[in-house]
Amino acid sequence: MDHPLIRFDASAKAKVLARLQEQRGSELLHTYEEGLALGIDVHGQNILSVLSFLKDDPELGFTGFLDVTAVDYSKYVLPQVERFAVIYILMSPHSGARVKVRAFVAGDPPTIDSATSLYQGAGWGEREAFDFFGIKFVGHPNLKRILMPDDYRDFPLRKEYPLRGRGERADFEVYRAFKD
Amino acid sequence: MGLNPQNDYTTTTLDTAINWARSNSMWPMPFGVACCAIEMMAALMSKYDASRFGSEVLKFAPRQSDLLIVSGRISLKMMPVLLRIWEQMPEPKWCISMGACASSGGVFDTYTLIQGIDQFIPVDAYIPGCPPRPEAFIEALMTVQEKASKGQAKSQEYTVKEGSV
Repeated sequence: MDHPLIRFDASAKAKVLARLQEQRGSELLHTYEEGLALGIDVHGQNILSVLSFLKDDPELGFTGFLDVTAVDYSKYVLPQVERFAVIYILMSPHSGARVKVRAFVAGDPPTIDSATSLYQGAGWGEREAFDFFGIKFVGHPNLKRILMPDDYRDFPLRKEYPLRGRGERADFEVYRAFKD
Repeated sequence: MGLNPQNDYTTTTLDTAINWARSNSMWPMPFGVACCAIEMMAALMSKYDASRFGSEVLKFAPRQSDLLIVSGRISLKMMPVLLRIWEQMPEPKWCISMGACASSGGVFDTYTLIQGIDQFIPVDAYIPGCPPRPEAFIEALMTVQEKASKGQAKSQEYTVKEGSV
């Protein structure tokens, strides 16, 4: 059976990569094979340029937006370009190709352009990355916490944050209605 | 309570009659937020059949219910919602904490999870298990029925704090 992911073999990846090198070669830090997908590393300030090329180029056509998430590399075994990376996973519906774009984010708070101008569906995932990692997405229409309570102070998936929290569970007096 | 077979009447106290009626007609308000809710549904459906205990009428309406069944893990953000539902229920009311997560946080000893709903809601019956069997749910239901028939409820041992939600 001709499954689209199987069609995206080594030669198809090489074609996508060649097209990308030709047009956006100066913006690519590193490329590699990531399972069935093609992995691309870029700097955060180039993310919109790379994403819009991947989306709008007629040969590539990565119009399918699958996911956006983030990683904290501060305790990673290998040294990385920056502490935080935002990861976009895109799909080309016609060829079945998938790419994983990893953008390393600099600054405190880490700041990157929002992909919502290209992919509207990125808004939810970017809000989640903001909620858990404190990454600021410039141009996001509604950047506020999505899963944690609105009055939460920390970014719980950062590596320095303790697993049991900083006392939020005990410091919950406003909702405590009963006493012994 | 005395029974007179000749004249077809009984003598009892009004409290006993009311408690008897309440305990045999519990109206559960299910708060199913995780896998324990699947076992709760099994206990309420035909195989285990909670209607044998008079508590098959599930209304997702706290104002018409007197038994809160919390089945699943409760996060910091969900707790105010649960508490609002609990306070909307009219007295007398009972609460079953179903499963390890609702009773103690379970394996989720993390920043986001309530370590036992009994910090906020008076619980009448705890069900251990991850998730518990429907038989364990029925056991808890019978425990609550026994308490109700004696006119006992954990919620009546607590007072509402001034200025709270």
